[in-house]
Amino acid sequence: MGLLELALLLMVLLFAILASGVWIALGLAACALAAMLINTTTPPDQALATAMWTASNSWDLTALPMFIWMGEVLYRTRLAEDMFEGLAPWMQRLPGRLLHVNVVSCTVFAAVSGSSAATCATIGRISLPELLKRRYDERMAIGTLAGSGTLGLLIPPSIIMIVYAAATEQSIARLFIAGVVPGILLALLFMGFIMIWAMLNRRRMPPPDPPTTFVNRLVATRRLAPVILLILGVIGAIYGGLASATEAAVVGLALALALSWWTGTLTKKTFVDALLGATRTSCMIAFILAGAAFLTAAMGFTGIPRALAQWVGALELSQWQLLAALTLFYIVLGCFLDGISMVVLTTSVIMPLVEKAGFDLIWFGVYVVLVVEMAQITPPVGFNLYVLQGMTGRNIFTIGAYALPLFLLMVVAVVMIAAFPGLVLWLPSTMLDAR
Amino acid sequence: MRHILDTLYRSALWLSAACLVAIALLIGLQVAGRLLDAALKLVGLDPVGIIVLSLAEIAGYLLAAASFLALAGTLKAGAHIRVTLVLAALGEKRRRALEMWALGAAAAFCAYMTFSLCRFAYYSWLFHEISPGLIRVPLAIPQAAMAFGMLVLTIALLDELVIVLKGGHPTFRRAEDVLMLGKEG
Repeated sequence: MGLLELALLLMVLLFAILASGVWIALGLAACALAAMLINTTTPPDQALATAMWTASNSWDLTALPMFIWMGEVLYRTRLAEDMFEGLAPWMQRLPGRLLHVNVVSCTVFAAVSGSSAATCATIGRISLPELLKRRYDERMAIGTLAGSGTLGLLIPPSIIMIVYAAATEQSIARLFIAGVVPGILLALLFMGFIMIWAMLNRRRMPPPDPPTTFVNRLVATRRLAPVILLILGVIGAIYGGLASATEAAVVGLALALALSWWTGTLTKKTFVDALLGATRTSCMIAFILAGAAFLTAAMGFTGIPRALAQWVGALELSQWQLLAALTLFYIVLGCFLDGISMVVLTTSVIMPLVEKAGFDLIWFGVYVVLVVEMAQITPPVGFNLYVLQGMTGRNIFTIGAYALPLFLLMVVAVVMIAAFPGLVLWLPSTMLDAR
Repeated sequence: MRHILDTLYRSALWLSAACLVAIALLIGLQVAGRLLDAALKLVGLDPVGIIVLSLAEIAGYLLAAASFLALAGTLKAGAHIRVTLVLAALGEKRRRALEMWALGAAAAFCAYMTFSLCRFAYYSWLFHEISPGLIRVPLAIPQAAMAFGMLVLTIALLDELVIVLKGGHPTFRRAEDVLMLGKEG
């Protein structure tokens, strides 16, 4: 069988298996098994076990359960309330007022959480009722929350980044730091959009809250101290080269538990719930990584990724054209697949192509995270949409339409990091040597 | 029978959680040791030099064991992700048929993976494969934990298949319909 026929057959097979409701990790591995049975004489069971063992037993990957656990602990504290109370007084003067709290609290929470849906849920649980109570425009309140929640992926720590770094053998610490500037840039784009919208639609803005004195505002801001301490502890340690990503995650976990104990939310029940929740989520992700590792190995045996790289190389596209094509491809894929599957399919199949086209792998990691962020808010499959559907009872497609302007701003961000790669690569180049 | 199976899944899940706690404690100990040394150096004393031996290898093995031991418990809780777009669009009768296919195919494939991981661990044991580093861990131990976790997942999938064949709903159905936090990363 020719490579082209094999590639098409495997693609159809993979999508058929996934669509039929077989779990994603198993679908990836089963597709890899089919590839090996058709195309090679290597015994597949040994390749399967070796790939899964190598992918699963990794020091770098231990950062994954630790960051997930930290997020689970924080979800059960009063951090989100504190952030709303601490930030709201400062946003009253900006056009768009409390709508900015959505963006800023998501940005801040993203710096302690690695997940987009968890960021969206943690912040939304507090800010959405408060905004709707004050009669802010629903479309804007829900849409900005859906979009800002995705910052959880771009701003470190980030679970998607750990998955990408583990699968491509890049440094987790460098990738984390590379996400900081684009993350802040995206947050500023969102805030700019809110300001312009608010100035154009003055009549749809509710009256401001009664003003508070400067001293009162400062007192309220004190409630931000714990989260700032957490961010300094985790990202500061990574940036300063004091700790590896895994060690920083354990420090963050210890601080999160201490915060939870201090504020009285640490009970036996919340501890056990957080631990078991983290165990399950990290198991789910590690299993997909194991399945994807076998797929990567099988793809290597078939030679499809190399052939793909050569074929695209022969087209002699410029980097711009290639990026435009990839972005379009990811946007379509993102409507139907979740972020982790998108990343592992990327790393198993198109990595040789990316290397051949001369992209920096850290830069490409940030790019992939950005397109995965878009996937979080494109219906019918998008996890932030699921979260908000659960919270507001709105239809997935309605929420997707509310979030459309933010989706477009993410496209703008992709164009910006493509035009100015320094936005991504400058900050990691200033890092003190991380271990 | 129900009780025995549920105990099996729950014990494997708790064992997995225990591995994660062990990882956190070992790394925490190492970091605390480094902080203590830095503090001692600051006041002009000699560092104690606490080092957790072979930390990177052992944490990796614990993670591999943790990831696979939790497989069944994660399935039962509906936290393994899959594309439910088609399933949700079908009527109850066709959905049942597709659910049976998904569970049957998954169980068969997991049985194959269990066999493959068992053989892998067996050969490691046969050829005395030992970890690099100061503490010499036989690789067969974490590999056997992976194989065992996969076996429990196979059992759990068969268990669900039997439930659906008897006319019931899969245990994870309700959890799948509501949201699971952070499962996309």
